[in-house]
Amino acid sequence: MPEHKESAFDHPKFAVVGHPNKGKSSIVSSLALDDSVQISDTPGTTTKKRSFPLTVDGKIIYELFDTPGFQRARKVLAWLEGHDVSADKKYEVVQEFIHTFKNDPKFNDEIELLEPIMEGAGIIYVVDASKPYGEEYEAEMEILRWTGQPSMALINHIDEGDYTAEWKRALGHYFKIVRTYDPMNISLAQHISILESMAQLKEEWTDSVKSSILFFEQYYEEMFQESAAAIAKAVFDSVSLIDTLAFTSEKASDVEKKRLEENYKNRLRMIESSTQKQIEIIWHHENLEKDKTQLAFEELDLFSEESASLFGLTRKELLITAATSGAITGAGIDLMFAGHTLFIGGALGAVVGGVGAYFAFNELSEIKVLGQTLGKRYLEIGPMANRNFPYILLGRLIYHTEQIAKRSHAKRSVAEFEMDSKFKEKWLDDALRKSLESYHKKFRSGKAIDEKVLLAYEALINTVLHKLI
Amino acid sequence: MNLASYLDLYEVLESDNSTRNERRTFGLSHPELKEDPVEQLSAWANREKLKLKRPLLSETLSSYLYWVTLILSFLTFVLGVVSGIGLLSYNGHEPVNVIYFIAMVVFVPLVTMSLALLSMFRASRSQSMLIHLSPAFWMERIVALLPNKVKDQLKGRFSELKINPLILNWLVIKRSQILALAFSFGLLLALLAMVATRDIAFAWSTTLSVTPEAFHHLLETLSFAWRDFFPWAVPSVELVEQSQYYRLGEKLGDTMISHAALLGEWWKFLLFATLFYAVILRFVMYIISTIGLKKAIERSFMTLEGSKKLLSDMNEVNISTHASTIENNFSSKTVAYTQVIDRFDQSYDMALGWAIDPDKLKLINERMQVIAPNCYEAGGANSLEEDSEVISKCHGEILFYVKAWEPPTMDFMDFLESLLEKADKVIVAPIGTEQQAYVSKERDVNVWARKLFTLNNEKVWLKISSAQALKGEAENA
Ligand SMILES: Nc1nc2c(ncn2[C@@H]2O[C@H](COP(=O)(O)OP(=O)(O)OP(=O)(O)O)[C@@H](O)[C@H]2O)c(=O)[nH]1
Ligand SMILES: [Mg+2]
Repeated sequence: MPEHKESAFDHPKFAVVGHPNKGKSSIVSSLALDDSVQISDTPGTTTKKRSFPLTVDGKIIYELFDTPGFQRARKVLAWLEGHDVSADKKYEVVQEFIHTFKNDPKFNDEIELLEPIMEGAGIIYVVDASKPYGEEYEAEMEILRWTGQPSMALINHIDEGDYTAEWKRALGHYFKIVRTYDPMNISLAQHISILESMAQLKEEWTDSVKSSILFFEQYYEEMFQESAAAIAKAVFDSVSLIDTLAFTSEKASDVEKKRLEENYKNRLRMIESSTQKQIEIIWHHENLEKDKTQLAFEELDLFSEESASLFGLTRKELLITAATSGAITGAGIDLMFAGHTLFIGGALGAVVGGVGAYFAFNELSEIKVLGQTLGKRYLEIGPMANRNFPYILLGRLIYHTEQIAKRSHAKRSVAEFEMDSKFKEKWLDDALRKSLESYHKKFRSGKAIDEKVLLAYEALINTVLHKLI
Repeated sequence: MNLASYLDLYEVLESDNSTRNERRTFGLSHPELKEDPVEQLSAWANREKLKLKRPLLSETLSSYLYWVTLILSFLTFVLGVVSGIGLLSYNGHEPVNVIYFIAMVVFVPLVTMSLALLSMFRASRSQSMLIHLSPAFWMERIVALLPNKVKDQLKGRFSELKINPLILNWLVIKRSQILALAFSFGLLLALLAMVATRDIAFAWSTTLSVTPEAFHHLLETLSFAWRDFFPWAVPSVELVEQSQYYRLGEKLGDTMISHAALLGEWWKFLLFATLFYAVILRFVMYIISTIGLKKAIERSFMTLEGSKKLLSDMNEVNISTHASTIENNFSSKTVAYTQVIDRFDQSYDMALGWAIDPDKLKLINERMQVIAPNCYEAGGANSLEEDSEVISKCHGEILFYVKAWEPPTMDFMDFLESLLEKADKVIVAPIGTEQQAYVSKERDVNVWARKLFTLNNEKVWLKISSAQALKGEAENA
């Protein structure tokens, strides 16, 4: 008879098992932040057990297994029950079952799911409580009991119906921990609370699983940090972007100007879409399919009133923001003249800033003709003069990050990013607008930016993300 | 840290496809570097660059810079020699005016060095006006225009390369110091050569009314650095007095001629002045600029795209949660199961329920307005023996209710296969829950259709809803 393989130094293992098509893979996918797991509404999607280790610097903290669903539970149980043994020997009967039917395709699924358990994995039994309980589940739970491994049940709700009460009554007979869990809507807090339940399965595992909670928190923090850095860089790169186009004739034609402007816009679009992609990768949504029409510059003109009111500042807000930052310049003049012009200076600065903002609403940036180098002349566009632009881009990228960060890794549907006119109110308030503006002004100046400034901007975005997510 | 290591890192980061794991492994295996991010980055670049295609950017650029610098240095050296000779040449009418030479080896260096210091202070700003004044900068522009082939070759690879302006500034500053040093060596060589090969009568003369005492005082001040160690290299008051010379209407004074041997003593001062101001001080400037460039490169290491990410990948714990293997893509084929009915017959020989008890079955039959004399449960809590018993009772046309929402398991399929040995026809009827009034969802029925399709048995029929049947007909038409 094969020996019990488990040793005291083994890391905790958990096998997610259950009936076919009840969301086992969805649960694993959401807990492992892995959006590549095959999930479908066809039963029998998962045919092989798969390991999802949480590793920290290569060291495994715990290991999660996705498994195929039970297919011939009654037959397995009948075989097991054919051996009349005492409770302490039941484990060995299961071992023997695996040994005997290892190469029998008939029990492929059962063997795949029993193997990790017999190698010491704790059992996470998944059911769907949107459908009624049935006696046919009892054979499965009975088999799991034969393994003698610690176990818990997770109640999932795939559909509308709610039979939680009857499920809880039935599960209570077999599992000491019964929890509900929604793999489609999972936050860090829910994730942590599930880990805490798993930690209770076996005393020896508690420390490892508890430490994994800290690692997950760190992991999320890293994702926030990286997203903020990516967004900050995108805004800086876009606002300070300068594009040039050489021309040889006496004067640049309108066609050439148009072309330059198109190039410039294209490069801005590129920055946005590549940053979006980057954010998806940061949050491990590499395989995300998105509805392209929803969040692309092509559909939503960056510089239209509509996008401004959705993501950027309205004309009025822009006027206020620009006027206050203009007034600071005015205050500088006052200092120079020792305060004699106190009010005039401030008012003048505010007026100039405000009027400038009003006109800067629609145009991107002036197209300049640049000097003569070896008989060649250049058209130049940028840095971005449009004061609203950074807010629009920022709003859209923050929105994208929020959507991505909140999306469960178990979802396989095409992502639709419904824009909400309320979103702006959620992230942007007057105080934030003012602090952002001081950075945007620096980005616009076309001067080299100190790394520290960019880091501070990053930190600001990070706090916004934390507030939202 | 030199320019080459910066360029190497740039190129490595540009074409980097290392995994987080590799980076972290590197970070962990070089713990001594952790405190010094620049060292860590360059160690990484040194290892990774071996994977890149040769020649490396740094190699191309370094050799280019080396040759440009060498050629320019040689030219300025020659220029130094020529100017030195020019300044020290005795044309037979007038003695050699030391003031010119002193201006060249003391005042010009002092002024240019102050400018260089100033530009060093301002170098951290990317647009520094002073940088453009530097001769090396302009010379290089000219040279860059010359060899077309070289330039094209460089352009292809460098068009995307954006060296941090900070580095460029320091590069220019350092190179101007090298060129100035070459020029100074030229002057020094000229002085030594002229003194060795000619008998030069030095004198001094100025339009300004400067007393010999004042001039001596100036010279003494200038020699502050060496007067205590080499007093003989500071002109004495007599020497200064005797070598003053008025150009207006005077020939060489007899006195001067009589002191010709003495006048030659000036060369010692000139030599030391050249050594100290033009060579040693300039060398110090060169050292400062080298340090400045090194610092600039170190700072720029951090601004390279991707370097911050690389550092955090190396130094922060590498957490990974996803599967270690890649899963095969699952594709479910949509199949058209053609053996379907959309309406029950009035009666069947018997009714079976998969995990549905007989009482319930009777209820369902009523609901469906179906008559079946016998109702049995299969599966569910039944033992396998009980199931065999049920099968043994089966015959004729059998209505087989299944819970539509529960996926068809192989357990069910096994039972169905045994059943088919006894039955003439089996109608599999997926039904919904009691709450749904036993109406099944189309999606669930499709799952059953797919499963029955695998069986491929003409005795097995599937009950679908009439709406679904209409849809199927429309698709077939
Ligand atoms: N709305 C909703 N759908 C869910 C939920 N959990 C699972 N699903 C869906 O249920 C179906 C089955 O999910 P899977 O995770 O593939 O189930 P499984 O248990 O791994 O299935 P097999 O591998 O075939 O045994 C998929 O279509 C999921 O999208 C949930 O909590 N809510
Ligand atoms: Mg699965």
